[in-house]
Amino acid sequence: MTSPETKVRSLDDPSVFVDTPATIYDAIPPYPPRTEREAEFYTLREGEMLINIGPQHPSTHGVLRVVLKIDGERIVDLDPVLGYLHRGVEKICENSDWHMVISHCDPLEYIASMFSEYVPVLAAEKLLDVTVPRRAEYIRVLACELNRISSHALFMGWLALDLGGITPILYGFLERDEIVEMLAALTGQRLLFNYMRIGGVNGDLNHEFMSRLGDWMSHALRHIEDSMTLINSNEIFVGRTRGLGRIDRQTALRMCLSGPPLRATGIPYDVRRAHPYSVYPELEFEIPTREEGDSYARYLLHLDEIKQSIHIIDQVLHRLPDGPVMAKLPRLLRPRPGRAWAAIESPRGQYGVYAMSDGTDQPFRLRIHDPSFFNLQAVGLLTPGHLIADIMAIMASLDPIMGGVDK
Amino acid sequence: MTIVSRPWQRLSPAGRVLLPLAAVAGGLGVVFLGGVSSGILPNLWSWVYEALNDNVPLLRFIVAATAVLLFTVPTAFVIIFLEMKVIALQNLRLGPNRQGPWGVLASTLHGFKVLAKEDFTPTGADVPVFTLAPVVVYLASVMSFLVIPFAPGLFAQDMNLALLYFFAVGGLGVVGLMMAGWSSFNKYSLLGALRAAAQIISYEIPLTLSVVGVILLAGTLSLNTIVHQQAGTFLDWYVFRQPLAFVIFFIAATAEGNRTPFDLTEADSEIVAGFATEYSGMRFGFFFFAEYVNVFILSALTVTLFLGGWNAPLDLTPVWQALGAHPGAIDLSGLGVGLLIAVLVVPPILTVLLALPFWMLFTRLRFWQALVIGFLCFNALAGAAVLIWAAFSFDAVMGLLWFLGKTYVFVVIFVWMRATLPRVRIDQLMGFAWKWLLPASLANLFVTALAILIIAQVRG
Amino acid sequence: MAHVADVMRTLHDDPGLRFELLADLCGVDTGTAMEVVYHLWSAGTRDWLRVVATGLSREDPRAPSVTFLWRGAEWAEREAYDMFGIVFEGNRDLRRIYMPPDYRSFPLRKDFLLPDDASRSPGEGVRPMEAAPEPAVLAGTPADVRRAREASR
Repeated sequence: MTSPETKVRSLDDPSVFVDTPATIYDAIPPYPPRTEREAEFYTLREGEMLINIGPQHPSTHGVLRVVLKIDGERIVDLDPVLGYLHRGVEKICENSDWHMVISHCDPLEYIASMFSEYVPVLAAEKLLDVTVPRRAEYIRVLACELNRISSHALFMGWLALDLGGITPILYGFLERDEIVEMLAALTGQRLLFNYMRIGGVNGDLNHEFMSRLGDWMSHALRHIEDSMTLINSNEIFVGRTRGLGRIDRQTALRMCLSGPPLRATGIPYDVRRAHPYSVYPELEFEIPTREEGDSYARYLLHLDEIKQSIHIIDQVLHRLPDGPVMAKLPRLLRPRPGRAWAAIESPRGQYGVYAMSDGTDQPFRLRIHDPSFFNLQAVGLLTPGHLIADIMAIMASLDPIMGGVDK
Repeated sequence: MTIVSRPWQRLSPAGRVLLPLAAVAGGLGVVFLGGVSSGILPNLWSWVYEALNDNVPLLRFIVAATAVLLFTVPTAFVIIFLEMKVIALQNLRLGPNRQGPWGVLASTLHGFKVLAKEDFTPTGADVPVFTLAPVVVYLASVMSFLVIPFAPGLFAQDMNLALLYFFAVGGLGVVGLMMAGWSSFNKYSLLGALRAAAQIISYEIPLTLSVVGVILLAGTLSLNTIVHQQAGTFLDWYVFRQPLAFVIFFIAATAEGNRTPFDLTEADSEIVAGFATEYSGMRFGFFFFAEYVNVFILSALTVTLFLGGWNAPLDLTPVWQALGAHPGAIDLSGLGVGLLIAVLVVPPILTVLLALPFWMLFTRLRFWQALVIGFLCFNALAGAAVLIWAAFSFDAVMGLLWFLGKTYVFVVIFVWMRATLPRVRIDQLMGFAWKWLLPASLANLFVTALAILIIAQVRG
Repeated sequence: MAHVADVMRTLHDDPGLRFELLADLCGVDTGTAMEVVYHLWSAGTRDWLRVVATGLSREDPRAPSVTFLWRGAEWAEREAYDMFGIVFEGNRDLRRIYMPPDYRSFPLRKDFLLPDDASRSPGEGVRPMEAAPEPAVLAGTPADVRRAREASR
């Protein structure tokens, strides 16, 4: 049942540096292969080479280690090694209060942390049968959509950066900075907001937030479209991303993808419409899809989603009701024993939480389903056959965030 | 504790530089006086003078080579600063703005920092090859400098095979890159080096072929003659007669210099730093310098071959003659002792005069600070005056200014391309070179030769 | 236990049900037994379904893998194995995903009490500090002195 007895040779061992064979620096692990797939991967044929795109790398989106098996410049196989950012969030959440879960789940998807806070809150609310005040729901949607736009702006810049263009990311950061300053006026934080609360949100809207929001909305779409004209029809960018990493619908379903990679293949699955939560049933927006399923389609899809989000924010601002922003809840929360599944649409895909409560004030099991975790599996499927330069394009277009992948 | 180390410890850093210099100067003074008084020095001097006089060409070559080598360093600094600042401004940020006014000292300070870094070789690296690789790469760049005509009469060597020499020496850079990649004992470096070799070798062919059209038009391989042939107005420049060759040459030059969009040898989002991953400190500084010197050389060559080198866009000789500019126009030797007095008296007076407005307008400035500012302004004025005198007396100065101006326009275009364009993939790059540039340059060559034949037939 | 695979296949293939999207796959340690919980979504009925495969023993939990239906479940099963020790039969790549390859314990189990269990992981790990020190080595350390003082009080 347990893995075979493994003795890992350590580079701290002084005997290792005497008559070092070159193979110690190889990416082949020093223990025998544990599974069939590992054996298949680490057996090299004539002319193949293992190269390690290590955890420290300018382009793996966080600390991701990818072992590539290459034949010249062409990739034969790919083995991602995760766990460099594993923080044991699920275990920590089992030992913490239902309220503390919010702060622990914040840094999972650190770029879009409103979403990673929202889901456990939604699951807890299901277990507590709490009615969240409508104003709080609208504010939640507003904050989430703003965070979605800032995450997408960063994604587009990031994709261009991985392909070599050093300017679009700074344009993306201009947009992101404005939104993040806005959210800092609302929540007090720029990155890990800690804003969602079980039963509502942490504080009401204030003047600074509204004025910044108004200023930003007046030029938002125009600015973003202007910034992205640098790469949208750029010959080199399109040539690098079009036709790359093409996924068809059946494969997308089999790989359990969600979010933009799934919608870029043509399947209009968006949790906001498929299983609506919060006030999304009252809001009008479309689900943008594309048919091609390649990296360029995913990129353009993010641009479409930004437009939809701006439309949603518009509607929210028009319909914002008055009222409290927090439901009346006891300080010590003891949900009824039971199980709850809550899922929302985060910028990366379907973010889900499966919460089991045993009636105490600590969750019994808090399982976090992060979309990046499943989307990243597609990298192993899409890259073989392409060149090394394409890994970055594919990985960047799938938009993984290692905080969520490694939990 | 010896009698030297205690006082030495108490010296400030500035003192530690000035004291040895003063000691050396004092020693030299003593030697000089002793030599002159005992009569050894004049004999030695006449012997040295005769030896030098007999070997003027060799001496000229040594001086030229040293000057070229020394010129590359400030050029690299300037281009590095331009790159940092221009890319920053295009990224809507500021770039270096704290080191010196507008950050101009940034790249110089980077150079000093690079000297101070730890110099190591990675485990398993092939040390002689590892050490020599940056030297070879830098050498290739610097050697190509020898044939570039900066101004009429201002060139290091005027070979009649200059263009051939240029391409031959430029190809040496590949050897250095391969040495770097192989000896680093690192798969990333190897990949980067192989990509670099493939790229540079493939793009050398369209580069050379596109230039053959210019050679046909000029009738010579000598860069000096090519520039002379483009004298006249800007319509005589070869860019109007060989537009396709210009475009092909510029694209191939971007690829030769490993610049974006063809910079996948050092693509730092894929293979960290390519062939230079394991290099740090001054070794990496050499690669860095070589790249920017390459940028300068390629721009210089573009300007020389296609944009008239040091020729002004319009024929300005009537203007200069109307202004009375010729060697000796401003004859300062006619002032005699007055020149000495002017040199001794005018600077302090001008410094104080220029400092006074600053001291009077800005109350927070103390007088010595205003004097410093006044001195800087005086330097600027004196520099401008010397420039005007030189422009009047030597036409080489105007030629140099035009040449540098045009070259730096192209340098800024290279930097601009880096700021805006993403990178191409290796297969797209190779496909572009072999399937598009090579046939285009061959077609250009064919059409040029045909045109020359026809025009020759028509004319005579 | 074997009929989990059949149930999954039916849910996936049956034209009336068509639960084609696997939303989540996770393991649960209820203290008495292990469970594997699947969440499925159907485009046909637009509904979520939770399938709980319960009753796996805590000493030797085995479950059939669903990677034949959804290849994306591979990593989720790897994570369930890594965190609980549930062996999914049929998964070609059942190795640890988050923990280092020589890790001996399964963190999310209810009998895993940090930090004791982590310090009992083998000392031949990548960092020598993972080696659990012998009790004799601890003598004289501040913790030991404090413990001795408490005991004597």
